[in-house]
Amino acid sequence: MTIKYIFLVSRQAKIRLVKWYAELELKDKNKTMKEVSQLVLARKPKQCNFIEHRDTKVVYRKYASLYFVAGIDLDDNELLMLEIIHRYVEILDRFFGNVCELDLIFQFQKAYFILDEMIMAGELQESSKKTILKVLSQQDETEAQENSERGWGDIK
Amino acid sequence: MAPMKGLTVFIADLRKCRSQEDEERRVNKELANIRTKFKESSLNGYNRKKYVCKLIYMSLLGHEVNIGHKEAVDLVNSARFSEKQIGYLAASLLLPESSELMRAVVGCLRRDMYDANECIVCLALCAATNVATREIAESLTEDVVMLLLAPSGSPFVKKKAALCLLRLLRRFPESVKARQWAARVIPYMGHRDIGVTLAVTSLVTALAQQQGDEMRKASTFAVRRLRSLVLDGERVADHMYYGVPAPWLQVKLLRLLQYFEPGEQRSELLGILRRIIDESQEAPRELQQMNAQYAVLFEAINLGIHVDVDQGLMHESALLLGRFITSRETNIRFLGLETMAHLATCIDSLDPVKRYQGVIVQSLRDRDVSVRRRALDLLYSMCDVTSAKAIVAELLRHMAIADAALREEMALKVAILTEKFATEYSWYVDVMMRLVSLAGDHMGDEVWHRIVQVILGNEELQLYACRIALQTLRAPVCHESALKVSAYVLGEFGHLIANAPGCAPLDQLKALQARLPGASLPARAVALTAVAKFTNLFPEIKNLCLRLLDRFRGALDAELQQRACEYYALATVESESLLPTVFEEMPPYPERQSALMSRLLSRETDTEDQRTWVVGGRDINRSRSTRRPADEDAPAAAAAAAEEKQETAQPTATPATTTAAEAAAPTSLDEPPALTPEEEERVAKSRKHYARLLWESDGILYDGAEVQVGMMAQYKPPAARIGLFLGNKSAAAICDISIQAETSDDSGDLVIQQAADQDALPESLMPLGQARVFFDVRCHRVFAAAPTLRISYTLAGAPTVLELQLPVTAAHFMDPVTISVTDFFARWKQLGEATIGESQAVLKTPFLASDADAIQWLRNVAGGMGFALIQGADVVPDNIVAVGIATTEAAGRFGCLMRVEPKPSHSLTRVTIRATNPTLAKAVATNISMIFDAR
Repeated sequence: MTIKYIFLVSRQAKIRLVKWYAELELKDKNKTMKEVSQLVLARKPKQCNFIEHRDTKVVYRKYASLYFVAGIDLDDNELLMLEIIHRYVEILDRFFGNVCELDLIFQFQKAYFILDEMIMAGELQESSKKTILKVLSQQDETEAQENSERGWGDIK
Repeated sequence: MAPMKGLTVFIADLRKCRSQEDEERRVNKELANIRTKFKESSLNGYNRKKYVCKLIYMSLLGHEVNIGHKEAVDLVNSARFSEKQIGYLAASLLLPESSELMRAVVGCLRRDMYDANECIVCLALCAATNVATREIAESLTEDVVMLLLAPSGSPFVKKKAALCLLRLLRRFPESVKARQWAARVIPYMGHRDIGVTLAVTSLVTALAQQQGDEMRKASTFAVRRLRSLVLDGERVADHMYYGVPAPWLQVKLLRLLQYFEPGEQRSELLGILRRIIDESQEAPRELQQMNAQYAVLFEAINLGIHVDVDQGLMHESALLLGRFITSRETNIRFLGLETMAHLATCIDSLDPVKRYQGVIVQSLRDRDVSVRRRALDLLYSMCDVTSAKAIVAELLRHMAIADAALREEMALKVAILTEKFATEYSWYVDVMMRLVSLAGDHMGDEVWHRIVQVILGNEELQLYACRIALQTLRAPVCHESALKVSAYVLGEFGHLIANAPGCAPLDQLKALQARLPGASLPARAVALTAVAKFTNLFPEIKNLCLRLLDRFRGALDAELQQRACEYYALATVESESLLPTVFEEMPPYPERQSALMSRLLSRETDTEDQRTWVVGGRDINRSRSTRRPADEDAPAAAAAAAEEKQETAQPTATPATTTAAEAAAPTSLDEPPALTPEEEERVAKSRKHYARLLWESDGILYDGAEVQVGMMAQYKPPAARIGLFLGNKSAAAICDISIQAETSDDSGDLVIQQAADQDALPESLMPLGQARVFFDVRCHRVFAAAPTLRISYTLAGAPTVLELQLPVTAAHFMDPVTISVTDFFARWKQLGEATIGESQAVLKTPFLASDADAIQWLRNVAGGMGFALIQGADVVPDNIVAVGIATTEAAGRFGCLMRVEPKPSHSLTRVTIRATNPTLAKAVATNISMIFDAR
């Protein structure tokens, strides 16, 4: 299983989060995301969650108005990728408490940190929801601690 | 969780923007603001973090962000975790890999990896993985290995270290020295923490592809862990996913085992696989559970195919897959077809798959293009001699309604299957002609090229092909590619059917001609070639063919015009043997990999993991299995191949050193004692060749009994490129060829050297063969003498050296310039007074100047030499007034004026050259005199 990229795109084709695990020129990355977004946004509800794009299998799933899209190798296990996406959504949901698109917009950095705890080097790192949430809440505590040390005067 | 207020406000602002321009404006304003803030010395960590976050958000929206690199590094250096975290995020998203600052980041990484706080260590490992530069691979790999292997390390650190190594290994396999630590990693597959096992298994899978059998031990661990998960009901707590125990780990392990030969674990593995397949007989209710369970199932079938494809287990799997391909869940249909295609490429008897042929054909009409594509792959994979006709017919039927995206692939696959499984010639020809008609617009030229190749290679096919070709041409609609095939086939083999009623040469020509008006240019070009071949094939209609060719001699398109002119000229040459030789029947194509196959395979590019199988070709999969690193013979075979290569390479190295006989060789121009009339004639001819090349850019330089030398020159003063072509006219091969050019002196006024970017001369030149060399020439200053060309070769053991003068003179570096008549005479006068460079020559004309052709010839010569003619400068219309400017690299440019005054009454022509450089004037005069002499 090698994930080449994961990105979140809204129904209006706005990119909400991008993470690349494959090395590519920025230009090509943008081109790929644009093409894949078009492919995915054009899909109908009853169709399968997989589509080919060049030498990549695209696995996607729609949650409310947001599409979670991942590119994997042609012979990778697509069902499992689908469930990685689902697990990510579950964790986001638990972390933000009934997550919505706005949470991911305003706290995109948190969405990155959660992703980093779950996937590294294009491979699943941790599949336990509990373990990941524990790390995240620990990070939040640290940040709160650091902020309080600083005194609220600094924080605008 | 404390969101940063400034960041929130900024994001909200951007969301309010109604247009792209609005957003652009807001971003630019913020960028300006951040730039000023970054300059303030009082910027605290919190604000730095906030601004860098804003920059990240801008780049996420697609805006170009070139600032904040230094601040990102400052954040990375911060003692606070939250600042460091944003710093590393920015370093991976904003900082280019080539940035100078990357070095500073790597320094921080090294420090953080040894931090007492485990969270910081994790952060560093994650950042190192995201950034993964060569420097990290070279200088930090050892530290990461240590973190993975340290007995006291926590699972958090270990799993991150394992995946960090994986990324570095994939990017810079040569820098991480995997051999030194690979084996020590394997035992961690047995770690009690599922996260660690998962990460290490990913790493081991990559290592197994690189190191092959050295990683064999991993398969024991994998089987043990699988047994524990599948058979023993290992408790995995949080890693239970909707009732399926650690599905990701199960799939990882099942995949890893596909890179090894099963060996003695075969029976244990089959037991595990059977349990997985049995448990999937009942479809789970919930979507997530079904996905997870089937993900494991499909991977288990893939492993089953690898372990023992012809066990009853796989027949059972085929039944299960047969159920899946009719599932109401699109995902399951998709995966069922995909996995069945894998099965079909490996299983010995296709019967369990063929049972579903009808359903699979139906799937070509699925609502979802993804499913249709899988169905096509499966049909292609399961095709054999018995099912080929039915499958090809189905594919052809679908071609007309298939979406454009799929049609090209379909056409390729039909072409390959038809060629591979054809048992009757007529079937092959019929199908292929139908194919080009149906899918012509959607396929590359490979397909029609291949049809022609196959027909050329199979004599039995040719007669039938001709008949069909003629039919195709006469059909109401004839596709472009069909026209090309038909034209080619009739041009080659039209005589085979010439005696049949309605197929006479004239009928063939008419059928072809009728297609020309509507055809595209490339198709017309192919048709013209066929017509040219007809002139040879059918002498009785030669005149009609010639008339047709003649019509195209005026074609607007250069390609058509050129073809028509050349073919016409060829067909009108008075020679009995020329046409039959040129248009001799094409020989069969040498068998090599079909272009179609390479086209199909080229669609697959290298991916991160090696594929364990490919769609289609059963033979490919079988030969592919020997390439797996786990195969024990592979390294030995590679070593043997390398040895063989060395052996063959050695003998070719020796002959090069034994050609020292050159010095002793008699040269043909070496003090000729007395010239025979024959030789005298040759010398005269040579002089003529030389003179011609003084004003024409290409032509023959030397034409002897054994070899011919042609020359092609391209001048871009002060530089030039000279191409020399050595043709072998003798009946035997010539060898030890060398072609050298040298200047007459070492002054460096002229530099001539072999062009760097060209192939080496061949070892030997067969009769009628041609070798070529290019020289790069640079004119630094005006030079007096032309360079010498030295060609040496050995024919039938006798070495020969030719020395020729290379027609490259100072006058060659001339470009035409246009100046007004008044200017011309002003300069003419100026130069005449200064007398720095007048060279006046009165030359004998070998022709009558009243001859209009001769005057035109004079003008052509002046133009060919690089002069611009000034019209109406002289009262006598036949007189020529011309200007040129010679360019040298070091000494600048020199103007050159010329007047040519033919005096027909005296059979004389007066030529006067005035130039700003006397040598140049002389060179021009000499050249003209030689040109006149040679006429």
